[in-house]
Amino acid sequence: MATEESERFDKVDWNDLSRSGRFDLSINSIGMLLTALPLTLLGVYSTAFTGPRTATFEFIGLEQNLESLDFFFIFTLLLAFWYLALPLYQNPRMTRYYWKEFKRNRPAVVSLGWLGIVFVGGLVGPLIMDPPQQQLLIGYQPPVFTSVVDTTPATCVGDVVNGRCFGTWQHPLGTTQGGKDVFTMIVYGMTISMQIAFITTTIVATIGISFGTLSAYAGGWIDEIMMRFVDIILSFPTFLMFLLILYIYGAGLGMFIVVFSLFAWGGTARYIRSKSLSISEEEFIKASRISGASTYQVIRGHVVPNAASSIITQLTLLIPGFLLAEAQLAFLGIGDSAVPSWGQLISAGRSDLSFAPWIVLAPGIVLFFTILAFNFLGDALLDALNPEAEAESE
Amino acid sequence: MGFGRYVTARVLWAAVVSLIIVTVTFLLLSAAPNPAVQRAATQAALQGGDPAEAAERARELRGLNQPLYVRYFDFIRNVYTLEWGWSVSRSQPVMEAVTQALYYTAQYSIPWTILTVILGPLVGVYSAANMYSWKDHAATGFAFFGYAIPNFFFGIILLLVFGVWLEWIPITYKTGVPVFSVQNAIQLAIPVFVLVTGSIGAVMRVSRNESAEFQNADFMKTAKAKGVSPLRAYAYHVMRPTLVPLSTTLVGQLLALFLGASLLVEVVFSIPGLGRLTYEALLAQDTNLVLGTTLFFTFVAVIGNLIEDLVFTVLDPRISYDDR
Amino acid sequence: MADDQPLLEVENLTTKFSTDNGTLTAVDGVDFSVNTGETVCIVGESGSGKTVATESITKIINTPPGEIEGTVRYKGRDLLSLPESELRQIRGNEIAHIFQNPQEAMNHCYTVGWQITEALQIHQDVSDDEARAKAVDLMDRVGIANASSRFDDYPHEFSGGQKQRVMIAMALVGDPDLLIADEPTTALDVTVQAQILRLLDDLQEEFEMGVLFVTHDLGVVAEIADRIVVMYAGKVMERGDVLDIFDHPGHPYTQQLLECLPEFGGTGGGIPGTLPDPHDPPDGCRFAPRCEYAEEACRTGEQPEEIEVAPGQEVSCVHYGPGGNPSIVRSEGLGPGDDTGTVDGDSEVGPADD
Repeated sequence: MATEESERFDKVDWNDLSRSGRFDLSINSIGMLLTALPLTLLGVYSTAFTGPRTATFEFIGLEQNLESLDFFFIFTLLLAFWYLALPLYQNPRMTRYYWKEFKRNRPAVVSLGWLGIVFVGGLVGPLIMDPPQQQLLIGYQPPVFTSVVDTTPATCVGDVVNGRCFGTWQHPLGTTQGGKDVFTMIVYGMTISMQIAFITTTIVATIGISFGTLSAYAGGWIDEIMMRFVDIILSFPTFLMFLLILYIYGAGLGMFIVVFSLFAWGGTARYIRSKSLSISEEEFIKASRISGASTYQVIRGHVVPNAASSIITQLTLLIPGFLLAEAQLAFLGIGDSAVPSWGQLISAGRSDLSFAPWIVLAPGIVLFFTILAFNFLGDALLDALNPEAEAESE
Repeated sequence: MGFGRYVTARVLWAAVVSLIIVTVTFLLLSAAPNPAVQRAATQAALQGGDPAEAAERARELRGLNQPLYVRYFDFIRNVYTLEWGWSVSRSQPVMEAVTQALYYTAQYSIPWTILTVILGPLVGVYSAANMYSWKDHAATGFAFFGYAIPNFFFGIILLLVFGVWLEWIPITYKTGVPVFSVQNAIQLAIPVFVLVTGSIGAVMRVSRNESAEFQNADFMKTAKAKGVSPLRAYAYHVMRPTLVPLSTTLVGQLLALFLGASLLVEVVFSIPGLGRLTYEALLAQDTNLVLGTTLFFTFVAVIGNLIEDLVFTVLDPRISYDDR
Repeated sequence: MADDQPLLEVENLTTKFSTDNGTLTAVDGVDFSVNTGETVCIVGESGSGKTVATESITKIINTPPGEIEGTVRYKGRDLLSLPESELRQIRGNEIAHIFQNPQEAMNHCYTVGWQITEALQIHQDVSDDEARAKAVDLMDRVGIANASSRFDDYPHEFSGGQKQRVMIAMALVGDPDLLIADEPTTALDVTVQAQILRLLDDLQEEFEMGVLFVTHDLGVVAEIADRIVVMYAGKVMERGDVLDIFDHPGHPYTQQLLECLPEFGGTGGGIPGTLPDPHDPPDGCRFAPRCEYAEEACRTGEQPEEIEVAPGQEVSCVHYGPGGNPSIVRSEGLGPGDDTGTVDGDSEVGPADD
């Protein structure tokens, strides 16, 4: 730095100090690049070079396989770590303040705890638990502490007392018609939910922010057209579109994610655009422009951080919508029944509802709690991060 | 610009948007393999004929071999003249199928809408007036619950409890029942209940938050100083400003829930309404019917947005038409 | 035209609030009175309790968390003991308020005319046309041009000064006998201030009202007051006729306030120090911590009893009490009449009904 020579005002090298070069990267970006690179290589290797029947990690002797969706998921997790989690650690004072505000909202803290469980469960679960196995003989086992009429399951894993089959800790939430352990399926479902949550929000954020800033930057009639486009996107009857597209074109989890994201970025784009426009009117922006900052720097340095908290809140509130939509579509029979999502579970158990309600109740309640948790979280984030917020949606 | 011009501009834009959405739907459907054609091909293959030729003939029969733009223009013309074609799966004109289904949908969606629109703001303002008391917490808790619990899940649980175990309500909806009878009310009670609990939460929360801001406003002090009673103060001075931001959420929310919720509720309770019609049409790959119902929902959504915008500008006199 | 009985008689008014940090006493045993036809100004800095005092009179303060004690006699009736329903009949009808910030004081969703007639129609049974006519007439009277067409305009279509005029119209439409004005001109431009003050002056005469006017601005006091009540930290420091007080202020606080005004030969500086914590006021005289004449006796016991130092002028200060030496406080001879001669001072001060 040029200030070593002297601390005199006229001798400071401002160019050097302002660190505005495009190639100047923060530790977050460096970390991101370093971790994303091997991931990308692995991904390319996995999709291009190994066949569909070969497990990804076979070359080091493991049987674990990663689908392309899993790669995206890990990528989004890396993004979240380097750009959301690490900055919290890097700015302890800010983090402590936000946490203090957040802590006031007790339901939100509980929600955070629950979502933490879902997150960890989703990440770690499939690694330590075997995938649910079909074992027809032990289908319809009741959950622990409950019992069903003995005739319902073919065989009873627990004790049979007074003509009733009792549940066991081996299958704490019972088993499905096919004998798959419900608890395990729910844990696997956590992964699916997390994947949906992370990947869709990343795509929505990316498209939304890019579109919004581009629109604001371009200005004039380009801006007008782009915003009209957003209007149209927002006017689509989304659930109907989901139905249409997914039914006709096939419905793996990846398709779900893509379709959800395609219709959800409008709100974010609009918000970012209006934020960009209003910020560019602020005095400190004018000041920073006078001192030579380019529009890109202004956006990156000021708009995004300012808007970040609102965006995070918005996105948090979008996630329950996605999860709900997935469950609804699964219930209607759309979607891949091999995907162990909660929605699929509920859908599969529906016909057995009257005599084996746990198959529907367990994933239903878990889904309910998760949606509730995201809503509480989003609400609390709104209070904590934006005390003066006038939420765009209201 | 004046109000008249503003309305005209918005209406025109609504027409453009609906046209675009309809076009996209058409393109999506036409890019999909037509099941009838596929059936013809499969059949021909099974019978030892030439599948390609059979496919070609099937297409010709349905006019599918015509260039896209011709089909498109035909389609558009039909749409706006309300000739929506023939439903193969139901053997009736699409228009007729839609109106029939609408009849049943209206029976639950009208009470649902009315209840939400009336109860939501009332509960919200009541909650704001008793902010942070147990009444407030109870109402907010209920709102969150209703909002978060998936409608279809709630529906099947209630159906299980009240229909199968308690046998208070019929498990499937009976269509022969006269519309304004007690029996109809009973069998519609749970579906409407499920829908209302789903939608009222958001409305109530928004009206609670908005009115909370207003109940501490300076003009409330003015009103009190004028001798206005608390009831009148809430009814006039709080409600009215609250309606402004509320109207945007209200209409938007209701329409957003309309399809997702009603489709699932209809499936769960076996109500032969518009949602279920769409779903079954999709399953049967009855193209015309799918298009017809999509159009309907698109129009509803677009017009809903339009009304929402207009209502917003009317209710808040501070907004000038140029801003929007 | 003053009756025998004062229009408004406030005795020992105490207003407390329960907050997270304990009980806050905003007004602590305050008395004053207003007669018909006269303007009484309550003077003091922000936080002295003057606004809370006026809002306690008609119980506009929300009573949880607030708690009002004392007696407020309006035309002989104790307002604080009346049920809310009766109070509502008095508010807007016999006692009217004008507040400081006209910007947010009106509901943005209703026309100005609607809001004015509301004040009338909830109290009197008049037809819509009659109410409109009266409102338009008043709007005209308060200086709004094109009153008839402006009746249907919304608050945001008026300037700050006009909004305050509308608020005045709203206050007067019920023909009140007592007008309580809480810093109505503070938020306005200086030129508009003068106009509004003149307007209020005229209207007072026309409507035969008593006016209780709250302000921190002694310049305004000089223009309109008949009598002054000086408040500090929830208590009354001094009261008296406006001419007397400006001429020979008794209380050190009043003297300091006057010193702040350049027009009166003061130095134009502020008063050093800050108000005491309303949760835990100091013993003795509230002003003692900031007073340059404070002695041991000033810091013990209660706020000193008010002593009459001149006809109609009372001061709450140890130095005027038994065993005190008034010359300590008088020695510097502050105030317009003493130092700079009467030429500049007197011409600014005049009784309100000239």
